[in-house]
Amino acid sequence: MVAQVLLLAMGAYTGLGLIVALLFVTFGVARVDPGASGAPLLFRALIAPGCVALWPLVLFWWCSAGGAAGARVGGRGSA
Amino acid sequence: MSASYTGIGWNRQKRIYDAVMIASIVIFLGAFYGLGRVLFRPPHDATDETLLIRGLGSCAIIMLHIVLWIGPLARLQPRLAPLLYNRRHLGVGTFVLGLCHAAFATVQFHGFGNVNPLVSLLTSNTQYGSLARFPFEVLGLAALLILFLMAATSHDFWNRNLTPRFWKSLHMCVYGAYALLVAHVSLGTLQQERSPLILATVGVSVAVTIGLHLAGARREARTDRGSEPAAGDSGPWIDAGPAADLPMDRARIVCARGGERIAVFRHAGGVSAVSNVCRHQGGPLGEGKIVDGCVTCPWHGWQYRPGDGCSPPPFKERVETYRVRIVAGRVRVNPTALAPGTPVEPAVIEEGARV
Ligand code: FES
Repeated sequence: MVAQVLLLAMGAYTGLGLIVALLFVTFGVARVDPGASGAPLLFRALIAPGCVALWPLVLFWWCSAGGAAGARVGGRGSA
Repeated sequence: MSASYTGIGWNRQKRIYDAVMIASIVIFLGAFYGLGRVLFRPPHDATDETLLIRGLGSCAIIMLHIVLWIGPLARLQPRLAPLLYNRRHLGVGTFVLGLCHAAFATVQFHGFGNVNPLVSLLTSNTQYGSLARFPFEVLGLAALLILFLMAATSHDFWNRNLTPRFWKSLHMCVYGAYALLVAHVSLGTLQQERSPLILATVGVSVAVTIGLHLAGARREARTDRGSEPAAGDSGPWIDAGPAADLPMDRARIVCARGGERIAVFRHAGGVSAVSNVCRHQGGPLGEGKIVDGCVTCPWHGWQYRPGDGCSPPPFKERVETYRVRIVAGRVRVNPTALAPGTPVEPAVIEEGARV
């Protein structure tokens, strides 16, 4: 019973995470970090799993950045 | 390196690094399977699936050991620093192998009943009070979740946005994953193997891991104890040793008592000193070398000009610089950090000094 509830909760968390991650890597990431504007698809795919895992934080960043592009940090980098 | 994010910043070294990693994995899995077929004969026969599951798990834990060992090894033997260059791909590779191991094992041992395989994994054995029957799979699952979090946040985007300090702390969880995996392998072996060979190997590996980290920490502590104030000099200048002994394009790391580490580099223009801490993930700049006229971090190759601590354009990172002079053939460094990016004239080594 406990295991089932645990897995259900994890499934719900992951499901919500997938939706947030998809929207974030498509529309939100450049607002949060201007270094990501115009970044290639591979970059978006590589950060997506982290967005699924940390979606509440990602959502918080996105809301904090609001409409102002570049509200957080500049960036350079790769994997 | 690029001014904005890329997917993977491929260059020749990274390609070679990854090619060697993938080839080694394939060779290891092939050798493991071949040896398994020879060694496990009836009545101790092992199916192909079992060999694959064990091979993937063994490869993952060996790679995790390599990930953990190359940090202190590079500290003790600077020639091994290139191994650090693409360590995060090794980490991601470890996670992928662990995931394959877990997926195959879950399907093999829990996938053919009428209960959800994950529910079965969590509920089929609940003897947490017994060492001999402990559900070791759960420990592996917990380790896999930690490795996932680390692999998923390995891109520079996360380092930037989580802040390097938090990112570093998060990635220190690798030691938690390591402890869980050692317990996972040890308990699994206790329950399924008669031969003490695997347990002994795990014990030796853990001892080597601890030993290497202690030796690396001792080496760092020696640097951190601080260099002597320079004799006969006014002010806070510290002695950084004979200028002639400083190898060309390499650094000596010094530290004022209780102060920050400083990397003192000898380069074509003379001797310059910059902060030892890379702006990227805190890599030890003094363990890197001068490439194309720039101090190059041994971890992922970020660069800074020795004369002013600035990354070459189009990059904008800067590290602190320090005043340097040479008195009676010895390098002296003023340990008061100048603002990041402050230009400092290199100290010139007289003609005839050894390289
Ligand atoms: S720590 Fe990554 S380049 Fe220095």
